[in-house]
Amino acid sequence: MNMTHYPRLDETVCRETLPNGLKVCVVPKKGFARKAAYFVTDYGSIHTSFTLDGVHITTPDGVAHYLEHKMFDMPGRDVNEEFAALGANPNAFTTYDMTAYYFTCTEHFEQCLRLLLEFVSTPYFTQESVEKERGIIAQEILMYADSADSQVFEDLAQNLYAHHPIRVPIAGSVESIQAITPEILEQCHRAFYAPANMMLCVVGDVEPETVVKLCEEVLPRQEQSVGIPDLGEEEKMRCVRPISRRKMDVSMPTFQLGFKCPAGLTGEEFAHWELVAELASEALFGESSSLYMQMYEQGIIDSSFGGGVETVSGTAMITCGGDSDYPEKVCDAIVAHAQHLAKTGIAESEFARMKKSFMGRRVKDLDSFESTCFRLCAYQFENYDFFRFPESFETVKAEELRTFLQENIRLDRCGMAIVEPSEQEEKN
Amino acid sequence: MIQTIQLSNHVVLRHCPDDRFKKGALSVQLLRPMCRQEAANNALLVAVLLRGTKDCPDLRSITWRLDELYGAAVSTLVRRIGDVQTVGYYMNFIEDRFALPGDKVLAPTIDFLRQLILEPATVNGAFDPEFVESEKKNLISAIESERNDKRTYAAAQMIRYMCQGDSFAEPRIGRKEDVAAITPQSLYDHYQMILRTSPVEIFYVGSASAQEVADLLRPLADALGTAAENPPAQTIFTPVAEPREFSETLDVNQGKLSMGFTTSINNQHPDFAAMQVFNTVYGGGMTSKLFLNVREKMSLCYYANSGYYGSKGILTVSSGIDEEHYETAKAEILHQLALCVQGKITPEELNSAKQAIITGLRSTPDSPGSLEGFYATAAISGMKLDIPDYIQAVESVTVQDVARCASTVKLHTTFFLKGVNA
Repeated sequence: MNMTHYPRLDETVCRETLPNGLKVCVVPKKGFARKAAYFVTDYGSIHTSFTLDGVHITTPDGVAHYLEHKMFDMPGRDVNEEFAALGANPNAFTTYDMTAYYFTCTEHFEQCLRLLLEFVSTPYFTQESVEKERGIIAQEILMYADSADSQVFEDLAQNLYAHHPIRVPIAGSVESIQAITPEILEQCHRAFYAPANMMLCVVGDVEPETVVKLCEEVLPRQEQSVGIPDLGEEEKMRCVRPISRRKMDVSMPTFQLGFKCPAGLTGEEFAHWELVAELASEALFGESSSLYMQMYEQGIIDSSFGGGVETVSGTAMITCGGDSDYPEKVCDAIVAHAQHLAKTGIAESEFARMKKSFMGRRVKDLDSFESTCFRLCAYQFENYDFFRFPESFETVKAEELRTFLQENIRLDRCGMAIVEPSEQEEKN
Repeated sequence: MIQTIQLSNHVVLRHCPDDRFKKGALSVQLLRPMCRQEAANNALLVAVLLRGTKDCPDLRSITWRLDELYGAAVSTLVRRIGDVQTVGYYMNFIEDRFALPGDKVLAPTIDFLRQLILEPATVNGAFDPEFVESEKKNLISAIESERNDKRTYAAAQMIRYMCQGDSFAEPRIGRKEDVAAITPQSLYDHYQMILRTSPVEIFYVGSASAQEVADLLRPLADALGTAAENPPAQTIFTPVAEPREFSETLDVNQGKLSMGFTTSINNQHPDFAAMQVFNTVYGGGMTSKLFLNVREKMSLCYYANSGYYGSKGILTVSSGIDEEHYETAKAEILHQLALCVQGKITPEELNSAKQAIITGLRSTPDSPGSLEGFYATAAISGMKLDIPDYIQAVESVTVQDVARCASTVKLHTTFFLKGVNA
C-alpha cells in the first residue's frame, strides 16, 4: 500500500486503488480500542437521472435514500442482528451527493468489515420488504416535514435553484416514493454501487493489509460500468425567488439565508476555493466578526446563528441562519457589511488570527474517527486529499477573501427562507 | 488511570492523563440542587458570564482570545444529573504540541477560564444590565424553542406530568416567568452565593501532568467553594398507584407517544448493570424489541426507543406514530415489556444488548468528550462503578436478571402529542 505521512497532523494514511476501481484508505491509530469503517458511494439524492451503458434512466425522487434503507436486507440473514452480536453499531445516511454505510466497534473488526462489505455489495430487494419499508420511510418524511430546520433549508434550496435536483428533499416525498420498486432499486445499485464508484475508509488500530485483503475477497474482482449522472443544465447565478415564508408550529421565526456561488471546481482548486469561501464567510458573519457582535447586541440574532459554505455537486452556496424575529434586518446587514469589507479588505492581523483559529479547529476535529472518515471520502470524491489542508491553507491570501465577498455576497445572488410561527397569540 | 486530587476542601480535580489526542478537554462544574429557585438563575448566569470579562469586555474580544488560543472552544454546562444541577463550562483546545513553536495553549486557556468565572465585566457592582437583558431574552427564546423539536418536547412534557413535585419535573433551564424576574443585582448575588457555597468538580483530560494542571488551576480553585455545603443527595422517584394519561394538540403531521415508567432500581442498586441490559434489550437500538416490533414488524413508526435514568429510577419510551395507531402502538409497547418480564428473551437478544453496552464502555476512553461525559458526571450521579467493573457486571447478567429488572418496571404516565388535523 501507498503510505503517506502528514507530520503537521501527526497522522499516517495507507492508500490503495484495487483493480476493480475501489479506493481504500486506512488511518492507523495505535492505542485506540475503537475502530470506524465507512463504505461510501458517490451517489446521493440528486442523482435521479443518469446514463448507464448508453441507456438514459430517470428514477423517482428519494430513491437513493430508499435504497440505503433496503441495503440492510440480505437473503436469509439479518445484518443488524449480526452486527449486534459482534457488539458493533452499524448505520447509514444519505446526503444530496453521497450514501455512506458505516460501523464502529471495539472487537471483531475483521468480521464487522466483512459484513459491511457483504451487505453493501449484495442487492436483495423483495416485493414484500420494499412494500413494508414504504410506511417507515413515509413516517420519516413526515417527521422532517414537522422540523422547521429541515423545512427552512428545503425552502432555501428552492429559492436559490431553478432546476438543480438539490430542490428536492433527500428522502423525496410521500407521493414520489410510491413509485419505487425492487427493479428500480436494483438498477440504481448496479449503476452506482460498483466498486469503482465507491471508497472504503477505516480509522483505528488495524492492519491496513487486512483491509485490502478483505475487500479483494468479498467484492467483485472486475471493474464494472458506472452510471453517469445528469444534473441538468448549468444553473444561472441569479436566484429564482428572493424570499419565501411558511407557517409552522414554532416558537419564534427561524430563517436561512443563502448566496449562490459558481460551482464546478475539483481537486486542489476546489479545496482552495472552499477555504477562501469558509474564511470569507467567517470574516463576514463568524463569531469573531464585528458584524456578529453588532447583530447579537442589537438582538437580531442569538447564539443559534451560524453558517458557512455548502457544496453539493453542481451547486455551491454560502448559507447562514438561526432563530430571529428580524430575518430581513439580518439579510440587509450582511449584504451591507460584505460591500463594506469588499471596499476595505481584511486586515492582515485579523486574517492571521482567523487562520490560526480555523487550523486549530480542523486539527481538533481529527479526534473524531467518524468525521475523519467522512471527510477523507467526501474530499476524495472531489479528487482532493483532505489531510493536505494545512498546505492548502498556506496558499490562501487575505486579498482573495475581499474578492470573494465582492463577487458573491450580493443581493441578486441572495435568497432567504423564513419559517414563521403559525399561532399569532403565541408571540407574547 | 484517573487520579482524584483534592485541590481544596470542596474542589476536586479528576485528572485523566492521555497523550493520544489532538486536543485536551477541561470542565469546571459547580454543584447545585436542581430546583425551581435556582434553575433560571443558573442557566442565565453562565450565559451572562460569557458576554464579557474584565480583560475581554465584550463578545468579540472573548472570541478573539479564543481564536488566539487556536480556536479553543468554550461551552456552557447546565446539566441535570438526577437531583443535582451542575453549572459551569466545558472547554477543548489543541494540545500544545500542535501550536506554533514556542506557543502555549493549556496555561492561557486555564487562565481564561479563571477570568471567565471569577472576573466578570461589572457595572456598579452588578452585572452589566445590557448583557443581562439580552441573555434573558435569549434564554426565554431557548425555553420557548423546546417545542420546535416535537420529539424532545413530547418527552419533556411527559416527564413534567409524571414527576410533578419532584426536581425531575423542573425545567432544566428554568421557566420563562422566573427568567423575566431576574435583575442584574439579583443575578450577581446568586453568582456570589454559588461561588462560595458550591462543591466543585473539575475534570481534565490531556497530556499535561496532574501536578502541572493542579498548579495551573490553583488560582481558580482557591477562590471557589470556600463555604461549601455537601451536594444534594440523589433520591429515587416514587410511583403513584394508578397509571395516568395526558394529551395535547399541536399543528404537527406526526403524533408523538411518550410513556413514563418507574423502577426501584437506580444506579446504586446491585441490579443497575442488569437494568441497563434490560433497557437495551427492550428499546435501545436497532435490535431492540421495540425497534424490531413496533417499527420493523408492524411499520407503525419511524422510531421507538426507551431510555433509562439511573439516578432517578425512571424508564421512558418514545415513539413517533400516526394518531390512528395510538392504541395499537401503546398495546405493543406494553406487550413487549410483558415478554421481558416473562423472560422471553433470546440468547441473541441478551448477547447483543450486552455487547452494545460493553462496546460503548470500551469506546469511552477513546475521545476526550466521552471521557468527560462519563467521569465528570458519574460521581455526581451516585454511580459507583468504574469502567472495568461496569463491563464485568454487564458480562455476568443473565436472562433471569433481566426479567427480574423488567418486573420492577411499572407504567406511571402516558402522554400523547397529536396533530390538529389528525
